[in-house]
Amino acid sequence: MSFAPVPRRAGTGAARRRGALMVLPAVTVTAIVVLGGLGATLAQAFGLLPIIGPARPGIGAFTAHPDDLASAVGVSLGIAATSTAIAVTVGTAAAIVIVSGRLGGRIVAGLGAVTVTIPHLIGAATIGLLLADAGVLPRLLGIPPESWPAFVGGPWWAAVIAEFAWKESAFVALVVTGTLATRVSAFDETAALLGAGRWKRFRHVLLPLTLPSIIIAGAIGFVYALGSYEVAWLLGRTYPEPLPVLAVRLFQGVSLDSRPEAAAVAIVTSVIALATVALTFAALRRTAAWR
Amino acid sequence: MTSAHPRSVRLAAAASALPLLALVGCAAPAATAPGAYDEWDQVLADAKGQTVQLWMYGGDDQGNAYVDDILAPAVAEYGVTLERVPVTDTRDALNRVFTELQAGRSDGTVDLIWVNGDNFRTGREADAWLCGWTDLLPSMANTDPADPLLESDFGTPVDGCEAPWHKAQFTLVYNADTVAEPPTTMAEVLDWAEANPGRFTYPAPPDFTGSVFVREVLASVSGGADEVPAAFSQAAFDELSPALYDRLTGLAPSLWRGGDTYPANEAELGQLFADGQVDMTMTYGPATLTDLVADGTYPAGTTVLPLEDGTVGNASFLGLPVNSDASAGAMVVANVALSVEQQVAKAKPDVWGQFTVLDIDGLDAADRSLFDALPQSPVVPPFDVLSRNAHGELSAEWVPALDEGWRTNVLSR
Repeated sequence: MSFAPVPRRAGTGAARRRGALMVLPAVTVTAIVVLGGLGATLAQAFGLLPIIGPARPGIGAFTAHPDDLASAVGVSLGIAATSTAIAVTVGTAAAIVIVSGRLGGRIVAGLGAVTVTIPHLIGAATIGLLLADAGVLPRLLGIPPESWPAFVGGPWWAAVIAEFAWKESAFVALVVTGTLATRVSAFDETAALLGAGRWKRFRHVLLPLTLPSIIIAGAIGFVYALGSYEVAWLLGRTYPEPLPVLAVRLFQGVSLDSRPEAAAVAIVTSVIALATVALTFAALRRTAAWR
Repeated sequence: MTSAHPRSVRLAAAASALPLLALVGCAAPAATAPGAYDEWDQVLADAKGQTVQLWMYGGDDQGNAYVDDILAPAVAEYGVTLERVPVTDTRDALNRVFTELQAGRSDGTVDLIWVNGDNFRTGREADAWLCGWTDLLPSMANTDPADPLLESDFGTPVDGCEAPWHKAQFTLVYNADTVAEPPTTMAEVLDWAEANPGRFTYPAPPDFTGSVFVREVLASVSGGADEVPAAFSQAAFDELSPALYDRLTGLAPSLWRGGDTYPANEAELGQLFADGQVDMTMTYGPATLTDLVADGTYPAGTTVLPLEDGTVGNASFLGLPVNSDASAGAMVVANVALSVEQQVAKAKPDVWGQFTVLDIDGLDAADRSLFDALPQSPVVPPFDVLSRNAHGELSAEWVPALDEGWRTNVLSR
């Protein structure tokens, strides 16, 4: 992966049009899913798509449970930010170990590649079995459930954050490794030959050159953690709820009038995710390697 | 964009707006009842070759095995293929139906739902059920038409919109090895929980087991089930619910983890009970206890707790969504499921242990003897013992009101 500026490719108008036609199928499918899904959700959130009765346009769905929504935003942002921060730190460190080329690096690379393929649902179930009050770990250590910290369903969302951080750090590691394995290694060697120590090389060569990939991988992980339902539902607590759990509970509410509220929560989640993406691009523009 | 192509931009905008318009265009359901039948023979003829998708709670291994190994082969004799679709919550199945109705689909993928209570009522409000078809079923002759559990479902008249499947009894369960003197009323259960901090909890409503527990406590703090009017009214709710939430808020610090969090569902509570973290659990399906004790999941001391004030009993049903594309096949499945052979098979403790909806006294001697010959479970007492002093369900409107009140008063206190 390289972030060097690419010169504008020369070509005739016909060639450009052919290029546009080639991407049209992918763009069309994406547009149907994203615009159709978001459109239907928007329509429900603003009361335009009722299950029963006439449409009642308005913003009532957004203001129905202000406390629940506010605490959900707080919990979701907290979980996503913490797990992303851990994942970026661990993942970047792992990437540097991987490109070192030693045996340890190969082991870390193998672990990372295996971790990425495990579905989040399986990961959540595994973390739950491991860290629950009466889970594998406290049993191995001979600690009774009452003395074991409440990782699963506890006030600090420890198990949820651990699951996201574990899965995302492998993802970050693989993305950053890809960057480090390109021309970055040549710059690193040059700096070493010129007498730069490890820390100086990391601080002035590796970090600036890999920062765009770190930011992108971190943003993807953040947005995923923000919108993921199953991990928070399996390992979290009943109150307060993160955004996706709140949305699903409202969506499944037996009184049909809470469906617009579920859609409203989903819209709020999407807006936060889109804002994160916008911030990511703003941050990317400021990095040296991107320019 | 300096060298803009206004036409292609407009085209792209139109292309991307189309799916949006298509989705917004198909608002509220437009489905009507497909082929209403007058004759059973016609149903049997149409059912041949149909595939029926039965959506049901998938967390009960015995129930899954019964449907796959006993019910499915029985309906196959009628040329009907039965496919079981497991869901974690019946609401998932209902939501699928609503979504398909919302999208205007008349060839729905959901043909039968194991349903009752507020899910049934919600479906009726949205006109999602096919109605008036259960009179056609020959097996209905074996039920008691005056049985109140089969006439109305949580206060919602059944009106032939769902076929009875089996009866359930809410049951509290304790570990006799750790609870020396078990309580005998709901009020004593709460006192016992306070006297034994950390050894009791209940699933968080809107989970249906947690929800019924809250209704049982409501009956207890109101001075008995008779003191709570079955029909919902805001006045009754405002009068009775403060005592309920006061009691549960006061109880919370004595619960597992100090009431700081609650198990999300019956399965999580069962896990705590199996791990010995709590001494009591509760279930709407006591039939599962036999197997759980036999395979060592639950402790050997697992015992059903009879309460003097009784617990709530109900019946569950098979509902047929109005947009099913295999309604004849679904009717055949409902009819076979209600037959004496299937009801007996299902009642065996080692099969599923579900209580029958048939009127046993009204059966002929040969059929009655099949039920009399059923083996007893070593853990679960027979239905007439379990359902002693039983009371009926409150109307379905009570459920969301009490659940939401619990969230705001007890959970987020």
